[in-house]
Amino acid sequence: MTRSRTVVLGSAMIVGAGALVALGAIYLDPARAAVGPLPPQALSLPAGTRFVMGLDVKRFVASPFYARYSGAAGASARPQAFAELEEKTGLNPERDIDQVYVAGGQVPSGPRADGLVVVTGRFDRYKVARAIETEHKGVTSKTVQGITVYLFNEDRSGRGTGAAAFLDDSTIVLGAQSAVEQTVAARARGDVPLRNNTALLSLIESVKPGSTFWMVGDQTLLANMPKSLPAPGGPGSSQSLELPALKSLVVTGDLDPQVSLDLTGETGDEVAAKNLADVVRGFVALASLQANQKPELKQLASAVSVSTEATRVHVAARFPYELLDSIQPRRAPASASQPSSTP
Amino acid sequence: MSASAAARPPAPESTAGRDTSRPVPFPRAARAVFDLALEGMVWSRRSLLMAILLGLPIAFGLLFRGVIVSRLPPRMTAFDLYGFVIAIYYIRNALPLAALFYATALIADEVDGRTITYLLTRPVRRGAILFGKFAAYLVTTACLTLPAVVITFFLLTTTRGWTGVGARVPDLFRDLGVVVLTLLAYGAFFTLMGVLLRRPVIPGLLFLFVWELVANLPGYMPRLTITAYLRSLIRHRPPDEGLAEIFGQVLPTALCLEALGAMIVVFLAAALWIFAAREYVLEQ
Repeated sequence: MTRSRTVVLGSAMIVGAGALVALGAIYLDPARAAVGPLPPQALSLPAGTRFVMGLDVKRFVASPFYARYSGAAGASARPQAFAELEEKTGLNPERDIDQVYVAGGQVPSGPRADGLVVVTGRFDRYKVARAIETEHKGVTSKTVQGITVYLFNEDRSGRGTGAAAFLDDSTIVLGAQSAVEQTVAARARGDVPLRNNTALLSLIESVKPGSTFWMVGDQTLLANMPKSLPAPGGPGSSQSLELPALKSLVVTGDLDPQVSLDLTGETGDEVAAKNLADVVRGFVALASLQANQKPELKQLASAVSVSTEATRVHVAARFPYELLDSIQPRRAPASASQPSSTP
Repeated sequence: MSASAAARPPAPESTAGRDTSRPVPFPRAARAVFDLALEGMVWSRRSLLMAILLGLPIAFGLLFRGVIVSRLPPRMTAFDLYGFVIAIYYIRNALPLAALFYATALIADEVDGRTITYLLTRPVRRGAILFGKFAAYLVTTACLTLPAVVITFFLLTTTRGWTGVGARVPDLFRDLGVVVLTLLAYGAFFTLMGVLLRRPVIPGLLFLFVWELVANLPGYMPRLTITAYLRSLIRHRPPDEGLAEIFGQVLPTALCLEALGAMIVVFLAAALWIFAAREYVLEQ
């Protein structure tokens, strides 16, 4: 073998080994899920779901954001609430909850909310069930496909204001009674109704895996968004900025080592995408103009970038924690000693 | 390919049974030129310099893991940094430079070294010569770049452990594809410049660092560059400044692939046509 062939072979071996390791990382990644970041249990959600949000609690709790702002928001209250919850249910949210998914929008114009919350983690089923039964007044239960569904404030017609049920040992679903019952029944039958919602699933698949939080929504949900914004002339100005309609929106974010936010909105056509991008750029430019009075806004403006790709508008924002600290209102110096001074 | 190598008499078994009045068949000729050109390209001072240039991100990755990540307040994630390396360092700068220095030299070196005569007097078609040399360029640069990209990826994305690496893997494969496409597109363009111009390096540098800035302008102007299509194919969008920040646009993937494919074919066909038709008269 010639020397050049040896180099080519060595190079190919490195690339091949890297590809194998990379494929192994995909296969063994604990973040691997049924569809995008959704676990298999969440595919039992109703097919009419219009938006889904997700929060990776483990990443959230481990992030600098949680360390900085949870303590600042209520250093004394938070652990107490968690301690009470842990005492009653054996559940420590920081330790035991892995993921939280919020879904809804099945009947956007309906009189009753139909939101669902799916929580995955490690639960003491007995303690949680007992806490539900004993801590709340007016809790009743019924069996749907062999699974106990707890109903809150059930009326004479047999409808409750809310419901909760264990989909399995590691998954709790909470929300509107009809939606919970649909989900429980689908799970018991082994159905995956959400797979029928191909539009939403394709959006979920586009979520950047490993994100700390994310949200996808289709045009049904986004139809309720404002169609115009007041022009920079001020509230008295008769002009307003027309916002192009969005067909879908995908938001992903990370909190470590800085707050990163990626928004991808799909519009009807390229012109609308460019218009929307211009509107966003306009607001970023306004922030830049304010930099004379508030120097920290200069950095804020440069932290946001906007680009278009055919009918899509992509907004990427990267906020270092130092920047977020600088734009927050200064806290009173006494805040550090607040617990001792509070009666 | 050196003149002595080109002038070397063919092996007896290669001529046995072949009609010597006709040129060597294209695949065999291209393969022979490829082998000779690869041997000359891989072990050369140019490749040593290019290996250092293209391998710099590995050193940076090691430095980042060992020193920077633990001492400096992190402004961006390690994956953002990897994206920066791919988008800014490789796609916009290092790979076009590597293509410039290799591809313009495919024929120009033979002319400068006055060995082109020996090459052209062999019983091989000119197309086979150009094709074999271009393939050798592609293999050489890919061998220098692809391992560096893979190693940099793992060095940077595993800074905080292996969690979430699987999610980044599709980007790695996409980046490897775009890297090869970058080498192909710029290689084809600079091969054309190499056969067209006597001194192609300065015009090539002007093209890279002046004309390619058009990619930052609004409207349809970016479509007149190569880099706009390549930048659009990768998913990394590092924050830009100035015109790029204001007018930055991402072209549709299908359009990029079609445009780059067309460019590669047109540039190589033009280079082949010029090389086949041109009469090389060496100065005494």
